[in-house]
Amino acid sequence: MQRLFLIFLAAFLINNILLIKFIGLCPFLGVSSRFDTSIGMSMAVIFVMTLASMACWGVWNLLLDPLGVGDFLYIPAFILVIAALVQFIEMVIKKVSPTLFKALGIFLPLITTNCAVLAAATESVKPGFWKLSLEYNYGLGEALVYTIGIALGFSMVIIMFAAMRERIEIAPIPHSLKGIPIAFIAAGLSSLAFLGFKGLFGI
Amino acid sequence: MKRSVWRDFTIGLIEENPLFGLVIGLCAALAVSSKVENAIFMGVAASFVMVASNILISVIRKAVPNEIRIPIFIVVIASFVTIVDLTMKAFFPAVYAALGVWIPLIVVNCIILGRAEAFAYKNGVIRSIADGLGKGLGYTLVILVMAVIRELGGTGQIVAFENTIISLKGFQPPQILQSFPGAFFTFGLLMGLLRKLQGKGE
Repeated sequence: MQRLFLIFLAAFLINNILLIKFIGLCPFLGVSSRFDTSIGMSMAVIFVMTLASMACWGVWNLLLDPLGVGDFLYIPAFILVIAALVQFIEMVIKKVSPTLFKALGIFLPLITTNCAVLAAATESVKPGFWKLSLEYNYGLGEALVYTIGIALGFSMVIIMFAAMRERIEIAPIPHSLKGIPIAFIAAGLSSLAFLGFKGLFGI
Repeated sequence: MKRSVWRDFTIGLIEENPLFGLVIGLCAALAVSSKVENAIFMGVAASFVMVASNILISVIRKAVPNEIRIPIFIVVIASFVTIVDLTMKAFFPAVYAALGVWIPLIVVNCIILGRAEAFAYKNGVIRSIADGLGKGLGYTLVILVMAVIRELGGTGQIVAFENTIISLKGFQPPQILQSFPGAFFTFGLLMGLLRKLQGKGE
């Protein structure tokens, strides 16, 4: 239980995917200019990322690894799984819940090329790229907790940032910094704050 | 209005620079720009994948059905990324360890898929090569400039390929430039500077 909590915390705060690991910045800048789109995007990411990681975990542990082809097939395999999954989810949601589809619809195709999803899937299956000082080789439950941590971390930052950017819009800032550049500087400051979590609980 | 091949190449350097102009493919750019050596390898890897996938997609573009073009593009890109991934692992293990997850993530680098979709799918092979080279060079230039600023400013010296190229004596380097926030600051300020020089705000 304690280990699960540490894994969650490591993924959620200490190695926050956006501010510390720089993954998923394009959708982050794209949708964080307005509050409601950022919430829609977060929901879609939490949903897809969790399912995608589980699917990739299954593909890796049941198919690629036992066959011994994992090392050179994992990139195409995972991205195909993710692309197919996103398409599938889109069709299911459209049929089952038109309201949910209206809310998430435009974000779903974007998620295929969201590097955060591929990174989360790769990391929960083949841990080690991000060098957390926890022991590796996640079981299904741990991989699930880890992915949910990443997805929630992404959502928290993107929503927090949308609120910030709505304020920045009306602030008097130098002309040439307006828009994307000032967003980056704000991201730098938030990232500085997140660095403070480093070393928490010795992770 | 048909642009010349040379124009296809040069437009990627400044006006449609993938990082400053189109603002895509940022994640990897920020992450690898902490060392000049990493930036060079990442730039070369991304440019190679971009040119190679542009060529292949432009060759097969008439045979690709419109509805499933995105999965096909992704498979093409993923194959080239796997080539880069395994080559680097075999010949440059140290750099491979430093770049880590960023090599597989070239697959979902929006620049490459974006060029496949917006350019290679609609244009001939020669122009697609020019486009890929231009965008790749533009990308490499920007991460190289950032890496020089961040490595020189953050550690006081530039070490590439086991040689110290420049070393500043008596300079107390602010380490923040090396860390994550420094990447955001450097990029934001550089972009602001470029806009100022071009004389345009938003």
